[in-house]
Amino acid sequence: MKKKLRINPILKKELMVGSRSMKMSFAILGIDAFLTLIVILVMASANMMTGFSGYDYSSLVWLFPILGCTECGLLSLIVPIITSGSISGERERQTLDIMLTTPVSPFSIALGKLGSAMVVVMMYMISSIPILAIAFVLGGLNWGALLGLIGILLYLGIYVGSVGVFCSSFVKKSIVATILTIAIGVGILVITGVVFYAWIGISNYYSMKNGGSFSPGAAPLVMMFNPYSPLFDFILRTMSGTSLYEIIETAGNQSVVLGWIYKGWIPISVVLNLLIALGFLNLAARNICVTRNRKK
Amino acid sequence: MLEIQNLTKRYGKFLALNDLNLHIDKGEIFGFVGPNGAGKTTTMRIVCGLLKASSGTVLIDGVNALLRPDDIKRKVGYVPDFFGVYDNLKVMEYMEFYGSMYGMEREEVCEISEGLLELVNLSDKREAFVDTLSRGMKQRLCVARALIHNPDLLVLDEPNSGLDPRARFEMKEVLKNLGTMGKTIIISSHILPELSEMCTSIGIMEHGQLIISGKVEEIMQKSAGTQPIRIKATVSGQGEEDGREYIATVLKEQPSVSKVSYTEDEILVSFTGSEQEAAKLLKTLVERDIAVSNFYREKEDLESLFLEITGGNQE
Ligand SMILES: Nc1ncnc2c1ncn2[C@@H]1O[C@H](COP(=O)(O)OP(=O)(O)O)[C@@H](O)[C@H]1O
Ligand SMILES: [Mg+2]
Repeated sequence: MKKKLRINPILKKELMVGSRSMKMSFAILGIDAFLTLIVILVMASANMMTGFSGYDYSSLVWLFPILGCTECGLLSLIVPIITSGSISGERERQTLDIMLTTPVSPFSIALGKLGSAMVVVMMYMISSIPILAIAFVLGGLNWGALLGLIGILLYLGIYVGSVGVFCSSFVKKSIVATILTIAIGVGILVITGVVFYAWIGISNYYSMKNGGSFSPGAAPLVMMFNPYSPLFDFILRTMSGTSLYEIIETAGNQSVVLGWIYKGWIPISVVLNLLIALGFLNLAARNICVTRNRKK
Repeated sequence: MLEIQNLTKRYGKFLALNDLNLHIDKGEIFGFVGPNGAGKTTTMRIVCGLLKASSGTVLIDGVNALLRPDDIKRKVGYVPDFFGVYDNLKVMEYMEFYGSMYGMEREEVCEISEGLLELVNLSDKREAFVDTLSRGMKQRLCVARALIHNPDLLVLDEPNSGLDPRARFEMKEVLKNLGTMGKTIIISSHILPELSEMCTSIGIMEHGQLIISGKVEEIMQKSAGTQPIRIKATVSGQGEEDGREYIATVLKEQPSVSKVSYTEDEILVSFTGSEQEAAKLLKTLVERDIAVSNFYREKEDLESLFLEITGGNQE
């Protein structure tokens, strides 16, 4: 039996339509220009520190993490923009209705939309590699770090993209969906941070009162729900060689189970967040089925 | 082919479909007529599985569409009342896109699309971008698209709305061709005349209920002899008001006259009698000193029936 591997039809169409539009090219041009500007700024500052008599190479080490964080930050803005109209746009044209009369499942529709956003993410990533290569030459970057950054960009793209498709599935206006997607990201960032510090503060207050020593306990687990934790760990490791796990370990003695979890902290966090992303896609698929009230 | 039983749909408290029953045979071209807001779109969306019914059953080829929506998707093609198209997509790519949603191979889609584009008279546009087509062309393209998977039932929601007369004519030709292909078709419209020519059966809907439905000839027969008579008449020596009153009194004395109403300059008589009785009525009017300048009975067509049923003729 011959069964052909099929590309998701929605993804295929999006690629065809997207490749004919100049919008994406301009966006990538702008982004790369921005990254280049950062490289120039970092180099200029390294130059200035030595009184323009050469480079202070130790400060150039910061080039890669700064570029990496900027790329992740930009991605967290671009992906909400490209996914914000993905479902609402189809709904408005009633092409969503037509899609729903075909055997394609709502989940496939959501997946196709996420896929097309991921293609843009990949284009964005690949186009920025030459700029990242400058960090290769000037300091701080090796192949492992480059692959790590690519992995993190893809993972973040999937996460933010799923939230974006989800928002687009129930928010009519693209701009509102964009803002909501970003707000959800920032919200998770803030909430996990607040819970983390509050937990540490409270548990320490009690352990100090009972004459115990400082221990973060299970509090850092909260940060597993922060989609940006792997990025933080990654930057930390490339820069200082210590991982988040080692910091936690030195901070206090752990129980066996916690110790084991902290060792696999980042992979667990990535898998967890990808599952959450899957959950968002499922919610999007549910919303796609629901016929919204139409304004007459 | 299509059997709708006790279909009810509520939007919140609003009753959009009220215990709707409808039967359409295979190969029928069914005209679904009713004023705006009657519930045509609601019915069609339920049939296509896009909307959940509050209660009732929809059977397509014996398959319960409400319980097994996935099974009917390959049987039904749907053209919504409003739709947009994608920018930057060519006509043939548009067809390919929808073909691939049905899991069809590219070659297969191309072959079928050639035939369909010919059917809807768009063969020369296959390389054109969809958003550059005229409204009528887009509408016809959408019909071709709805046929890509060779469905048995084609559901068209107001395919003529927003089209100019020329485009309407072309659409009508396309739909007539479809009829000869043996497909079962449902077409909705809020205007009856554009359907009466090409439909084999018809249903008139109002306020979520089907008022009348059946084969076009049957409905014509049922309504035979119910056409109103239009009269222009004056009474010499009396003012318009008094004259009208006198004429009305005379008319109401006659057998077969059930109702007298007025349009701007005509008297409209609901009359159930035969031709001879109509002639007798005219004779009586003249004998009673009424100067009749115009007396005619409306032709038996669906439009007047529709207007009568939906109350358009009453004042
Ligand atoms: N999503 C909705 N929410 C609330 N009321 C609706 C909705 N869709 C349609 N209606 C109402 O249901 C009635 C029937 O609408 P519709 O089926 O579109 O009629 P038609 O297609 O015959 O013009 C209308 O009165 C309309 O206002
Ligand atoms: Mg309608």
